[in-house]
Amino acid sequence: MNRAIGRIFVIAAVLFAALVVNLTYLQVFAAKSLRDKPENHRRIAEELRVRRGAILGFDGSTIAGVKKQSGFWFRTYPQGAVAPQIVGYNSVRYGRSGIELSMNDYLTGSSTARGWQGIVDDALGRRQRGANVRLTIAPAVQKAAQDALGTTRGGIVVLDPKTGAVIAAASSPDYDPATLESDWKRLRGDKATPLLSRTTQSLQPPGSSFKVVTAAKGLGEGKVTPTTVFYDTGTYSIGGGQVTNYHDAVFGRNTFTQALTLSINTTFAKVGTMLGRDKLVEGMTGFGFYEVPPLELPEGLVVASGRYRGGKLLPTTAPMDELHVAWAAVGQENVLATPLQMALVAAGVANGGQVPKPYLVQDVKDPDGRVLRRAEPGSWTTAMSPQTAQQLNLMMQQVVSAGTGTSAALQGISVAGKTGTAEKGDGSNVAWFIAFAPARDPQVAVAVMVEKTPLTGGDVAAPMAADVLRVALGQPQLP
Amino acid sequence: MSRRNTEFLYLLMVAVMATLAYVAVYAARFKEIGRTSLTYAGIFVVVFLVLHLVVRFRLAQADPYLLPLTALLSVVGLAEIYRLDPDLALKQGRWLIVGAVLFVLTVLVVRDHLRLDGYKYIIGAVGLALLAITIVFGSEVNGARLWLHVGGVSIQPSEFAKIAIVIFLAGYLNDKKEMLSIPTARVFRIPIPAPKYFGPLLLMWVLSLLMLVFMKDFGMSLLFLATFIAILYMATARLVYVVVGGALFAAGAALAVTYVSHIHDRFAIWLDPWQDPQGKGFQLLQSLYAIADGGVVGAGFGRGYLLHPDKTPVVPDLPTDFIFAAVANELGLAGAVGLVLCYLLFCWRGFQIAVWATDGFSKLLAAGLATIFGLQTFIIIGGVTRLIPLTGITLPFVSYGGSSLTANMMLVALLLMVSHRTNVVRAGSDTERLELAELGA
Repeated sequence: MNRAIGRIFVIAAVLFAALVVNLTYLQVFAAKSLRDKPENHRRIAEELRVRRGAILGFDGSTIAGVKKQSGFWFRTYPQGAVAPQIVGYNSVRYGRSGIELSMNDYLTGSSTARGWQGIVDDALGRRQRGANVRLTIAPAVQKAAQDALGTTRGGIVVLDPKTGAVIAAASSPDYDPATLESDWKRLRGDKATPLLSRTTQSLQPPGSSFKVVTAAKGLGEGKVTPTTVFYDTGTYSIGGGQVTNYHDAVFGRNTFTQALTLSINTTFAKVGTMLGRDKLVEGMTGFGFYEVPPLELPEGLVVASGRYRGGKLLPTTAPMDELHVAWAAVGQENVLATPLQMALVAAGVANGGQVPKPYLVQDVKDPDGRVLRRAEPGSWTTAMSPQTAQQLNLMMQQVVSAGTGTSAALQGISVAGKTGTAEKGDGSNVAWFIAFAPARDPQVAVAVMVEKTPLTGGDVAAPMAADVLRVALGQPQLP
Repeated sequence: MSRRNTEFLYLLMVAVMATLAYVAVYAARFKEIGRTSLTYAGIFVVVFLVLHLVVRFRLAQADPYLLPLTALLSVVGLAEIYRLDPDLALKQGRWLIVGAVLFVLTVLVVRDHLRLDGYKYIIGAVGLALLAITIVFGSEVNGARLWLHVGGVSIQPSEFAKIAIVIFLAGYLNDKKEMLSIPTARVFRIPIPAPKYFGPLLLMWVLSLLMLVFMKDFGMSLLFLATFIAILYMATARLVYVVVGGALFAAGAALAVTYVSHIHDRFAIWLDPWQDPQGKGFQLLQSLYAIADGGVVGAGFGRGYLLHPDKTPVVPDLPTDFIFAAVANELGLAGAVGLVLCYLLFCWRGFQIAVWATDGFSKLLAAGLATIFGLQTFIIIGGVTRLIPLTGITLPFVSYGGSSLTANMMLVALLLMVSHRTNVVRAGSDTERLELAELGA
């Protein structure tokens, strides 16, 4: 019996030895490859031991701060949800996104982000501390945009048309970043996609707001002038098909300015035909379509606008027949745009034809106040000449003073804008309004996009734009 | 040095470690050494001091290493649970006291484990009844039906059933061992017992399959069958039982993997946890990542990343089934291997007691208890480290869980009783031997 007992003990010893071998493998030999698995976010835990830099609003107020809890620095959000999809999250469970991801080297104060100073600090054994990232987002304007949207699905982007600074980027519905971890499963399963950054990721047909792009190219190429007369019969037959007006309206004889004011599809389809495929696409690339706007956000969080098929951006050289060109000129067919891109369209007109390079990070300062990075505003693309921009500016003022966008009018401030209402296959509309103000010396450009609405851009999006413009123009300090 | 003084010395060492562990956790949490941590350590020391005194007066010649090992394992568990969830540690502390009471009761009521041999059928029936009650009235947790809810307390009867069944098997197989080991036939010139003697093996196999089907728990089923085969082998020294038992087990496992979806999933996750990293593979992967993060020495008690900001653990079921991952994370390879070696030492003492014992029942009882203890440890540590497919059972003395803790305290009491009797019979004083004789041994 004792020999058998001895043998069983030997077996037990062998099994335990296997445990030890396996543990050695896991904790020594495989440790690195396990740490580097893409879905393993435990690396983030190591960086939580460093006091993470704050993410500040343009006014210097804290959007994302830190508090220490059992040895790790976790995020706090003293102002609640301020552009959560842009600011992003920093979670050991679910990873990083947004500014938290793209500015991580600064926020953790890693020596690569601190340059020579980092090497000196490391040599002196100074404790690593994260640098503060100040955004261009003005919390007051951001909140006005979030409040304007409420629970409506959509996005609002506010830009400084001169510099390209993103003053607000609101995506609705949003989420509370403080409870993201416990809400994660619900947020992920929510059909209204609260985690989606609609302002930079949601591609929607721009509808008539796209007519600004067509108009800019038509005017710039000399195909039309603001006073060119067009006759509308309610339909425009081209390439074996027809372009019709919204709700099959018939407008009769109108100038090109009136056509923009009343948003007459047939007129813009005709201008599209005059331009042809190549010039229309050129007009789009002039505003930055077909390119990813260079925001300081991680790859994938900002997408290019343009013509899409099957979820893929078509190349600029993709063929289009005449009917396609005509419908594309009124912002339908396969043309899709993000609210950011449409805000850039408004900014391009406002800024005398130069589309500014959009940016989100105003500056980065280490805890001692040294500036590690500062925004350098510049031009991104050229959409049109200053003369053309001036003509279009005046035309767009008519839209607000006498056309489809009257609900965006402000007391004592001239607003230039354009409505858009794209009909989706499911019977709902995507309502748009793009605008800038004051029209004579534009300080703010805005794009409002509302999804799944039965209403038009003039009814639902223009009033939201007015609310946001009012707050933005009342702000003493903007980027 | 006498056995009891040796035991006392080792217990003192554990007491120092206990205090240090609590202080470390407390300091990591609150940046200071508070009275609470010392209170916890104090209660812990008092409990084991009482057990030591009971052993000193009732089982003076018992093995001196088992109780300190028990204390060491318990303190690692309590400190880690305290670090994860102080409220849970308080409950575990209460269970430790309940376990200590059961330990004392076992020693006082049973007095001599040989008396259990006479009640083996009743004890075996109680063990089966415990399993049957679980199957009928139990509720499912994580897909396995192992829990019984009685008046607000969750009990895992299988933890107690395992001791009852080991007692029964030790008694039964000790009685039948001669019969079971006489070869009556030869297959390929290998002596084989008559087919009818495979009856008990088949019966136990069917029983474990029933457990598998009704409890949907592979771990307990494997534990019972493997322990049975081990005891049968130790009783008869016939390798053929191991071979046939292994084949039966393989067949049962194949059936389970094919037909029980919950077990099929576990098996698939084991083969490739990365096929569904956010879903079915999540728990095992988080466990592996936490263990890998521990490295060679770990960050120390209370200093690893084991809790998210909302206090939920990084691995689901971390204080219970996955406690080993928490220990391996904070104490590193050094601590994890140290813990494994503690279990091995525990088993070694168990088997040593069996080898030294003077009668067959004592031998099989001690060896059986050591086997089931070691196997349970291997199954859960192997499971959370992906050496074998994961099955949710507790890590003895370390996992949070009242049933596991109290049942294992009884297991220690039984091993100490066997050891005490052996040492008295072999070399004890005349009075001690007389007392044993009076007990009717």
